Amino acid sequence: MNEWWTTAAAIAGTLAVYTASKRTYRWFPIPLMLPIVTGTIVIILFLLVSRIPYNVYMNGGQWIESLLGPAVVALACPLYEQRHLLKRYLLPILSGIGTGAVIGIVSGLVFTAATGASREWAAAVLPKSVTTPVAMDITTTLGGDAPLAAMFVMVAGIGGVVVHARVMNVVGVTDPVAKGIGMGSAAHAIGTAKSLENSETEGAVSSVAMTVSAVIVAFLAPLAGNLFL
Amino acid sequence: MRLVRIVIHIVVLYVFYWAGTWIQDVLQLPVPGSIIGMLLLLAVFVFTAATPKWLQDGSGLLLGNMPLLFLPVTAGLVVHGELFSLLGAGLITAVFISTLLVMGTGSWVTQYLLKRGERYRE
Repeated sequence: MNEWWTTAAAIAGTLAVYTASKRTYRWFPIPLMLPIVTGTIVIILFLLVSRIPYNVYMNGGQWIESLLGPAVVALACPLYEQRHLLKRYLLPILSGIGTGAVIGIVSGLVFTAATGASREWAAAVLPKSVTTPVAMDITTTLGGDAPLAAMFVMVAGIGGVVVHARVMNVVGVTDPVAKGIGMGSAAHAIGTAKSLENSETEGAVSSVAMTVSAVIVAFLAPLAGNLFL
Repeated sequence: MRLVRIVIHIVVLYVFYWAGTWIQDVLQLPVPGSIIGMLLLLAVFVFTAATPKWLQDGSGLLLGNMPLLFLPVTAGLVVHGELFSLLGAGLITAVFISTLLVMGTGSWVTQYLLKRGERYRE
């Protein structure tokens, strides 16, 4: 009886927090007000204040989380709908995303080694440039902790949105296709939302880059992790 | 009945996810089952007459509300007080710099090849 009640309360509470933080973002559309940022903070504060242990909350939370797998599968839909982009610019797109994926993994390995981080931390850093659910899966495969992975993914996404225009200036990139590749490969879904505001082409390319990059990193990161961590 | 369609679509997506994790398990692959499931669904779109429209109510709902689905996971940061440390700050900086590198190189390579492609066509 008690367990049934906490399960229902956790699901209803999470839905309520999400709806409220989504509405707040509509009023203040800046990266730091993204529902995932404000929603996470509100739930954590609530758990701390009410002294409800995380695993009790997860009685309900796990039901919501169980939809993440199907959501990743659903990424095939937008990717297939944008297949004309892939066909038209196959070589530049794949080379750009591939370069980004390799640079991301290599620099992740080098930097975590430089900070002296443990394998558990490094496993959470490696997949940080791909969309959250895939990053969490990769980190779990490598023996790391999913919440940490989600947190580094957020840093990459928000940081990427903030610096995108400046980085494009520095490397002298003006083409919307090339701009979208950088955004989608480095800042995944958070970046794609921003690219959609910049131009339709940049947004569509960014969404393709985000999904293709997730596939490439899903193959490369576990390999690199098992070899070097 | 939109609700019924949503449920059916999500069940279909779940079957692909389940098949993906099953393949991962049997073949002992390091690639996440969710990604294998996605590639399976993509293969179905490419090789059969099926289109994403058949799943659009369910897939649209899930993709449009992805942050809700990982809120319970990110709330798990509650047990990670160690993030507020020198190492935590160092790693966040490392992630930020790595993001700059990924973005810069990915875009630069793409534009370089796009321009070269145009020159060949002329």
